Amino acid sequence: MMSVGELLSQFGDKYLQALWTTYGLTVLCFAGALVLGIAITVMRICPIKPLQWFGDFYVQIFRNIPGAALLIVLVYALPYLRVMLSYYMCVLVAVTLIPSSFCSEYLMAGMNTIGAGQIEAARSLGMTFFQIVKNVVLPQALRSTVLQMTNLLVATMLTTALASQVPLNPADLTGIVTYINTHAVGGITAFMISAFFYAVTAVVIGQIGNRIDKKVRILR
Amino acid sequence: MNGAHASIRDVLYDAPGPKAKRRIAFVTVISLLALAALLAAIVRRFYVTGQLDPKYWSIFLRYTTWRFIGRGLLGTLQVAAASSVLAFAAGMLLMMARVCRYRVLNAIATFIIELSRGIPTLLFIYFFFLLAPQFGLQLPSFWRITLPVSISAMGVTAEALRSGVNAVPRGQTEAAVSLGMRSASVFFKIVFPQGFRYVIPTLISEMVIVFKDTTYAYVVNYADLMQNAKVLISNYDALLAVYLVVAVIYIVINYLINKLAATVERRTRAAVAAAK
Repeated sequence: MMSVGELLSQFGDKYLQALWTTYGLTVLCFAGALVLGIAITVMRICPIKPLQWFGDFYVQIFRNIPGAALLIVLVYALPYLRVMLSYYMCVLVAVTLIPSSFCSEYLMAGMNTIGAGQIEAARSLGMTFFQIVKNVVLPQALRSTVLQMTNLLVATMLTTALASQVPLNPADLTGIVTYINTHAVGGITAFMISAFFYAVTAVVIGQIGNRIDKKVRILR
Repeated sequence: MNGAHASIRDVLYDAPGPKAKRRIAFVTVISLLALAALLAAIVRRFYVTGQLDPKYWSIFLRYTTWRFIGRGLLGTLQVAAASSVLAFAAGMLLMMARVCRYRVLNAIATFIIELSRGIPTLLFIYFFFLLAPQFGLQLPSFWRITLPVSISAMGVTAEALRSGVNAVPRGQTEAAVSLGMRSASVFFKIVFPQGFRYVIPTLISEMVIVFKDTTYAYVVNYADLMQNAKVLISNYDALLAVYLVVAVIYIVINYLINKLAATVERRTRAAVAAAK
């Protein structure tokens, strides 16, 4: 069995790259999920029925499909439709679509805390649907869902472990554990280092989220 | 769920006037056309790549195909059921350690909960799959998937249970203590039964997480739905069709679990409101 020092001196740069892969995927996917989630939410609350149906359908599909199933469809099934995505793209798409549906669900729940009076007031001021959504509904929905979005960011990071299911170079934090185990007897140490990075990142994100929440939460 | 969404949808716009009605009708038609075009493009893609060929889909007319899928689903359900029970038992212990009066236990429980919630299920799976054998621990594939899935779910379960326990008004504990009840019986007879009731919907929807995590069973070669799908594919050479059908099965089951959670939540809320 290798000590942490030995393992890091031999695979230190690999770990750094793995951490970078995981963080990079997390940030990209979370940003994409926020944008998509907001767009889907606007569809779900707009007065156009077909867009509402589409939004609801989208959310039900992606909040209920297991990440592994979605990734497998993207990696193995799409080429049969002559849609070729790189492994990295497949992971990126899977880990963006799933959190985006949860993002929309949280926003929908967050909107329900907004008083009907506010929207009626905005309407009587002559604001259009998009003006109300942009200036009244979305800012408050986002402010009241900071904690859920924080959890979503952590969940997104955990979902990026899907990257270990496809050959990626550099590997992600989960993939590196299998890599080290096939190249050396990393044993439990390799697992511990990755676990440590994930858990510490999750705790730090949680703390930051709590702080932001305290600052921006709307007291009712 | 739909009831809650209807409220924001209803309040956002008034009954439209004649002008707005025309505009909405116009955009509705446009968006219908766009959605139809999207659907047509997808179907066309299937058609031009030959994926609509009956040879790919006719296997779903056979009883044996569904029996095999059913057997895989049974494997999935067994792992999901065992993991849910284990995660609940472990989550319960962690929650009690987290809220009890001993600081050391609090700290240990918090540490374990954070690890459970902050580490991906896949990493736990690799732990049991790659590392446990190095310590001479030989587990059957059922446990190699069930244990990591439960470990990964126990942290969220503990936190859900704790939020329920915390939601019980403190006055009840104070009243029970002043009646001379011991703290253990206050917890088990008064606080926990009520707190548990609040979080039943959350616990049900957490089964979705467990159910989704069981898809990783293919990593350890356990015969679950996904693994059996692979076998079907190698037998019939119908990859796209089989994976799509399997994905739909997962989606439908999780959708139903979520629906159940929403229904139970509505009832719980009504019951709690009636009791007040």
